[in-house]
Amino acid sequence: MGVVVLGVGFCGAYPASAGHSYRELTARAARMAYDEAGVAAERIDGAVVAEEDFISGYSITDEYSPDQLGMARKPVYTVGGDFLQALGSAVMQIRTGRYRILVVSAYSKASNMLTRDEVLGFAFDPTYNRFGISPHYLAGIEMQSFLGCSDYGLADVAHVVERNRRRAALDPLSPFGGIVDAAQVLAGRPVATPVTDLMIARPADAAVVAVIATDEVDAETERPPVYIAGTGWASATPVIEHRDHGTSVGTALAAQAAYAEAHVEDPADEIDAFFVSDLYAHRQLMHMSALGIGQAELTRVNPDGGSLGMGDLYEANGGARFYSAIRQLRGDAGANQVEGAERVLVHGWRGLPTDSCAVVILDGEGRGS
Amino acid sequence: MNNRVAVIGAGMTRFMRRAKETGPEMCAAAVQMALEDAGLTIDDIDAVCLGTAPDAFDGVHMKAEYLLGGAGAANKPYLRNYVGGGTGVFAPIHGWMHVASGKFRTCLVVCEEKMSPCSPHPAGAFLTIFDHTTEQPLLPTLIHIFGIEMRRFMHVYGYTERDLAQVSAMCKRNALDHPAAQIAQECTVEDVLKSPVLSWPVKRMDISPTSDAAVALVLCNEHLARTHKKAPAFIDGVGFRLDTAYWCTRDLGFPNYVAMAAHDAYAMAGIADPIRDIDIFEPYDPFDYKALHHMNGLLLDRTGRRVKELLHSGNFERTGSHPMCPSGGLLGVGNPIAAAGLMKIAELYFQLTGQAGKRQVKKDAHRGVAQAWGDLMQVGTVVVMSSEGGMPITASRWPDVKPADLPGTPLKNVEDVEHVEYTPDLRYAWDNGQALTTYLEGFREGHIRGSKCHKCGRMMVPARSFCEICNLQVVDDCYDLADTGTVMTYTLSHVDWDSSFLPDGKVRTFAVIAIDGAAPEHGLLHHLGEVEPDKVHVGMRVKAVWKDPADRKGCVTDVKYFRPMAPGEDVPFTPVRIKPVEVNSRTAKAFPGKIPMSYKYTAGVGGSRFYKDLAEGRLSGTACPKCGAVLLPSASYCEDCMVTLDPDANARVIPADQGLVASYTTVFEDRSGHVLAKPVVAVQVVFPGTRGSLFGILEGDEEPEIGLNVRLLKAGKVTGPESVRFAPV
Repeated sequence: MGVVVLGVGFCGAYPASAGHSYRELTARAARMAYDEAGVAAERIDGAVVAEEDFISGYSITDEYSPDQLGMARKPVYTVGGDFLQALGSAVMQIRTGRYRILVVSAYSKASNMLTRDEVLGFAFDPTYNRFGISPHYLAGIEMQSFLGCSDYGLADVAHVVERNRRRAALDPLSPFGGIVDAAQVLAGRPVATPVTDLMIARPADAAVVAVIATDEVDAETERPPVYIAGTGWASATPVIEHRDHGTSVGTALAAQAAYAEAHVEDPADEIDAFFVSDLYAHRQLMHMSALGIGQAELTRVNPDGGSLGMGDLYEANGGARFYSAIRQLRGDAGANQVEGAERVLVHGWRGLPTDSCAVVILDGEGRGS
Repeated sequence: MNNRVAVIGAGMTRFMRRAKETGPEMCAAAVQMALEDAGLTIDDIDAVCLGTAPDAFDGVHMKAEYLLGGAGAANKPYLRNYVGGGTGVFAPIHGWMHVASGKFRTCLVVCEEKMSPCSPHPAGAFLTIFDHTTEQPLLPTLIHIFGIEMRRFMHVYGYTERDLAQVSAMCKRNALDHPAAQIAQECTVEDVLKSPVLSWPVKRMDISPTSDAAVALVLCNEHLARTHKKAPAFIDGVGFRLDTAYWCTRDLGFPNYVAMAAHDAYAMAGIADPIRDIDIFEPYDPFDYKALHHMNGLLLDRTGRRVKELLHSGNFERTGSHPMCPSGGLLGVGNPIAAAGLMKIAELYFQLTGQAGKRQVKKDAHRGVAQAWGDLMQVGTVVVMSSEGGMPITASRWPDVKPADLPGTPLKNVEDVEHVEYTPDLRYAWDNGQALTTYLEGFREGHIRGSKCHKCGRMMVPARSFCEICNLQVVDDCYDLADTGTVMTYTLSHVDWDSSFLPDGKVRTFAVIAIDGAAPEHGLLHHLGEVEPDKVHVGMRVKAVWKDPADRKGCVTDVKYFRPMAPGEDVPFTPVRIKPVEVNSRTAKAFPGKIPMSYKYTAGVGGSRFYKDLAEGRLSGTACPKCGAVLLPSASYCEDCMVTLDPDANARVIPADQGLVASYTTVFEDRSGHVLAKPVVAVQVVFPGTRGSLFGILEGDEEPEIGLNVRLLKAGKVTGPESVRFAPV
């Protein structure tokens, strides 16, 4: 059974979205997705939502997920993870044969959080890993380890920022686009050496919604379907004392599963564009290595400017890249369009202190059908 | 269905008020037991799914990431699902998706909750389950909405407190035979009725306790199940439904969401008549009335007659025609939220495969249903399981398992062991958005405001900008409604939001009030005043008592409370259409709030050894007898082998002065992002012959470098990670 993307919706991204509640952001994205998919909410079987308690500010945040999707009283559950992990769960749900059309959503209302570093630090193991210092210390440890074991240097990390911010300047949804040169990045305010503040994606608000279905569903849409050719997700050890901080094992394992499902043998050759988590600039390069792609593919990585350009959308990060990937496959990416993109890869990472990652491979109509 | 899915093994810790083990350590103990029960190793597991409820209990943001090593998920596909209290029965549904989709052959399902770190009481974490803008300012907690729902259930179905107490007494008695049970006891209905009133009609013994525990199950596809040495139990039907978060907009007497989920599960399992076709029931019973409330949903019986007959005829006993909660349920075994739900699935597995020992029901049981509930009176999760009648081919340990056979170390006080105290600074300012801005400004002006959906015609309170039941119909029209209404249900509370008793015998009355002019049953949560508690009743007409205009802040607390209306005070009122508040940079203000929790974490079995050593300037690792690795820091399990370890018996001394810096960073900001007066160097340090490393702070002004030789410093007084410090040798 094939699973296709019928429609996507996006509201954002904004550095802050005063005047819109998280419900209103999501409802707007949902209306867009349903309209594009050609299905009314009442035709949708259920929803999978990606969110986390302390990001939303609620305990048991899943309580507040169904209404703004029009999914009250339907089969709805929350995945504590990235949008791409929720997508993977929804694809499994459809493949049980019991559900035909599902909605997947995530939102970020980062501007509601007044103490974001406190929230991030609260994710660290209380027994061993909270030192009363910035939780970005682990990014510094990682980057130091990564640079020590790879062919990349500090300048390469800075160039990631320069390239992504420039591309984002051409993306109407990315509020942090602009011209930032590598020297400026390296001279930025130090947070946890060698990480400077410009190497860290800034928080932003947005909501993303996707409608997926079996390829047997008749939808009243003129948009060509996008096929979900492969999904994979995996986690490396959460014990940071045991982890190799120079690599992303979670990415490598997730990619391995997705490649196998999509029959990808040589990703650099077979995939046209890559959307790779760049919440920290060094992480984009680390993830690329784990995905099996190198410097030669940099021109095809994060054509939308990634999270450094659009902002850190927390659980919606993978969803934002997913939305960009769909635009690429439909030829709607404007100035950042990758010529002839027919197969794209979307990667998501949960952020510090984890190495939990997901990979999704999408095929355009020509290839998927 | 693509693939039939079976349960082939179970494991669990004891259920405890407070465990010495950390959350990951509890998970590891349950996982090891489940793998042994299934006759598998961790290498046989293709994927792991974890169920756990609010992060606020364990006190770790993204707590699934923190738990994953103990859950056996390192280097595996791993997903966490949650639907509040419904999580424990949803987790096996999620596991079922993993296997039934054909993507995985096996899936480990793990549920954990460690509620004890919450200080001063885990109940305080429930304050933040309520809407931060419209409800939290009233200081409700879970027990209050349970009281509210219990009162409504009694009113609609005519139950007495004595009727409901029977359920509590039965569950606690049943739990005497459950090896994991936390509060099993032989008690009478009178004992329940005489227990202290917390939030009438809720009394202490109507409630399940807060708990720490973990439960694990092994799921596999039918092919593997057929080759398994023990009889499997199959998952035949699943259902889950999530109702609106606007919980004051429906009659709380009947759980529609449970009935809908049950209907889905029964359709999948081919069940036409649940009372005829189901042998065992494990409804979710965090409170005694909830078991009956849910049974009405599971039997698809809105009249409630069948459940009442079964209760009064004694047929819910293990010897009866429809055994209910043969495990002892949450009321007897305990309520570590998600783990409690999975315990119910484990009970079906035990009962249907003849492994329940003294708890085995009298009738020949082939099919059972388990259900959980959660969120804001909102979610129903249902699983139907069956056996094929085969008893275990090989002997099972489960019929004879005693409490001492189960892992877990109960503690009286967290201060009795090495522990870490931490208070996160979690502050928020929630954007109200267009609709809530209008709603809140209404309070400032002395009005209760709704918005009207022109598709379904409902006048909705609180005002919202879309209709959740009409394909997200845009809702633009706002109205001032009357500030009068009718009490739909209520509770008379003696306790505050953090579970402490109100001073001087004070009673605070929470009520759901259906506002005049709104759609039927559309109401809001608020306090009642100017009325003696024993005079409050369902159907009472009430009117808002407002603060002086100068004291109003655009908050629900601008209404001080609702008071009873005098005879003849009712006057007709027509909703007044208004211009919604226009949002601009001045009106679009955010609503302030915080999560007011503090935590006391046990350092766990591994952490206790580490910090005891650190206090004396020593260092030891833990040797895994299976893979031979010496793990650093000290550990109570090996996440690669998923075997439990004894950090004392398996200790290996490591020279504390032979550390080498593996990585380092100079940190310029404190934990909140403020610039430090003096930067701090954090280091990752490895020690020869070990797997792992230590993280800590490097003292001195020496510029670090990779490979720098450092020693671990004696801590003396240990306060947690900040005590871990190194100095160059």
